[in-house]
Amino acid sequence: MLSKLCKRTAPKSLWLYHCNSGACNGCDIEILNVLTPYYDVERFGMKVVASPRHADVMLLSGAVTRPSLPLVKRAYDAMPSPKLVFGIGSCAMGGGCWFDTYNVTGGADKVVPVDYFIPGCPPRPEAIIYGVALALGLVDKKAAPVELKQMEFPIDAYRRNEAWEKRNVIYELVR
Amino acid sequence: MKEQLQERLRHHCTAEGLTLDRADPRQWFVDGPRERVRDFAAAMVTEGARYVVSMGYDEIARNGTLGLVHSFAFDREGLFLHFRTNAPAADPSFESITPDIPNAGWSEREYMDLLGLKFSGHPKPKRLVLADDWPEGIYPLRKEVPHDLVPPAAEDVAYQLEQGPPGTTTIPIGPYHPCLHEPEHFAVYVDGETIKGCDYRGFMTHRGIEKLCTTAVSYNEVPYIAERICGICGTVHATAYSQAVERAAGIRIPRRAEFIRTMMLEIERIHSHLLWLGVAGHLIGFDTVFMQAWRVREQIMWLCERLTGNRKTYGMVQIGGVRRDVTPEIREDILGVIGQVEKELLVIRKAIQNDSSIHRRTKGVGTLSHEEAVRWSLVGPVARARGVDIDVRRDHPYAAYDEVRFEVPVFTGCDAWSTLQVRMIETFEAIRIIRQVLEKMPGGPILFEFQDPIAPGLHAMSAVEAPRGESTHYIITGENNRAERWRVRAPTYPNLQAVPLMLLDEQFADFPIIVGSIDPCFSCTDRVGVVNARSGGYSVMTRFELEALGRRKGESV
Repeated sequence: MLSKLCKRTAPKSLWLYHCNSGACNGCDIEILNVLTPYYDVERFGMKVVASPRHADVMLLSGAVTRPSLPLVKRAYDAMPSPKLVFGIGSCAMGGGCWFDTYNVTGGADKVVPVDYFIPGCPPRPEAIIYGVALALGLVDKKAAPVELKQMEFPIDAYRRNEAWEKRNVIYELVR
Repeated sequence: MKEQLQERLRHHCTAEGLTLDRADPRQWFVDGPRERVRDFAAAMVTEGARYVVSMGYDEIARNGTLGLVHSFAFDREGLFLHFRTNAPAADPSFESITPDIPNAGWSEREYMDLLGLKFSGHPKPKRLVLADDWPEGIYPLRKEVPHDLVPPAAEDVAYQLEQGPPGTTTIPIGPYHPCLHEPEHFAVYVDGETIKGCDYRGFMTHRGIEKLCTTAVSYNEVPYIAERICGICGTVHATAYSQAVERAAGIRIPRRAEFIRTMMLEIERIHSHLLWLGVAGHLIGFDTVFMQAWRVREQIMWLCERLTGNRKTYGMVQIGGVRRDVTPEIREDILGVIGQVEKELLVIRKAIQNDSSIHRRTKGVGTLSHEEAVRWSLVGPVARARGVDIDVRRDHPYAAYDEVRFEVPVFTGCDAWSTLQVRMIETFEAIRIIRQVLEKMPGGPILFEFQDPIAPGLHAMSAVEAPRGESTHYIITGENNRAERWRVRAPTYPNLQAVPLMLLDEQFADFPIIVGSIDPCFSCTDRVGVVNARSGGYSVMTRFELEALGRRKGESV
């Protein structure tokens, strides 16, 4: 469904904006790697641009730290519609191994609406290209027939449970 | 030489009434009252010590105090010296050593934020690590604060950047900027095209790793989290952490495991230096270098995948040894790949060394004198390009570096070009080390499995030469099979503090390559970190202009 929408809204070349929201550089160097001769993402007409104002797609890596949260929101708002957001790597998917520490928001979907997730720590350059190409409808999906439930029926995979809600009660105690 | 220094240190400690713990010949611990901090630090600098890092720790549960450690290194003598002191939790104030040792500035600010220590006489006691909207009076590294405490966000707080010198214009660079690749904010004060000053607000990739690893997980899981401190030099952090725990617990790991660790560290160095070379080429508008360097580097990535199972974050090192062995087939594979890389690298080197545009963009750019480099305790290629002859692999040998022969390139150009040359030569030296390691690698087990629990309250520090310089991990062992305190200092931490000096009186278009010349890795530096709406809005526009400016300069030479 989403890929049909993508075809309609972005029929031509996609310009990508890479936004690091507190990643460890692992995902970021793999995103840079897709530009290099072996992977050469430009043959699909994709290009990494410097400004979100020129971009159609945001590649968001990292677990979104507390200081970068408003900045990521601003960068997202600066992008012209229609826009897509890709969460790159385990941290963007749900916060990674530091999903609940004091300075981490815990995943890209807490901040901006994420359309596709590319898993991996870090994801391979092939996986990044495949993910973007899949969104564009350039390739057929090779995944198991689970049909990406999260995409079709948006559910919060890391729904905040009661314990999560209560954890900041401690904050009052400390004060 | 070494004996003389040790004798002097012993004498100094006795005369001053300080306790000296000499159990480990490679690192000594001095305990003293807090009034002596500044005198002792100044005396050590006079002795020729290099300031390494400071660490604060919480001992309220044990004896109601907050502790502080200042670490110094005597590189010629192969000795680390740690000065430990403490102050009651009700009045945790110390005398600042920053006026004598400028590099201690960040460490002290970090513990003002995270532990609530007070430093009298600090020249710039501003917030460093925590977010601007973090409330006062909550110190995340104190034991009573849980690791997942998230105070509510506030809207109207912003970091107050310094006022620039009169007559200058402020140009915000970042937090999102193409020449940084990570969220960090520089405010650069320019007069025309000349940089007259710089203020820095970083630590935006601070993820609270130190707190997480001392509260939620046990010893054995930390090496894999430590690898994710930095996606580029992950093995360095995993090795340094494992070595610190092994040193505290007094474990000797099998020799073969040490050789495999050495090999992984050197493979990582090749990949990191090639990555840097590509990014540096990109920053001065020479994209051919970027493409070629990363093309060569890709073979290393594939090799690592065959060797460890992942292109990055290898998961190879664990406490007591390594996880995977080197089989004879993979040995041939490694030799073949590094031979190919060496051949292709020679071509790139020849092209770079005779390229006039690279010379003009890097020579005399980002200069910092030898004296300043020593005063600011710089490390790694940035220091070696300024004539400071230090290398942890040679000065404080670890793993199998005592058995391999290699040279430490030292240049005296004091500029970005010299750092490029240092890194270029180091890449060839890394290839040489890998060949020797594969040749000399002994047989035997690769993992030492120990059953006994590690006693609490032991201190140890280990240093590893990362591609960017010296990376140190200080550990205090604790109860419940986890460390009580773990302090990571990445090489960018000292180097970045000297960047404002390197930028002074340089052209604004050279900003990307000057910051790039230290090979900044903000995620390592911040591991454990806003700009107001106005500067955020500006940066969206200036980022594009700046890169265009940098590239135009590249075209004009």
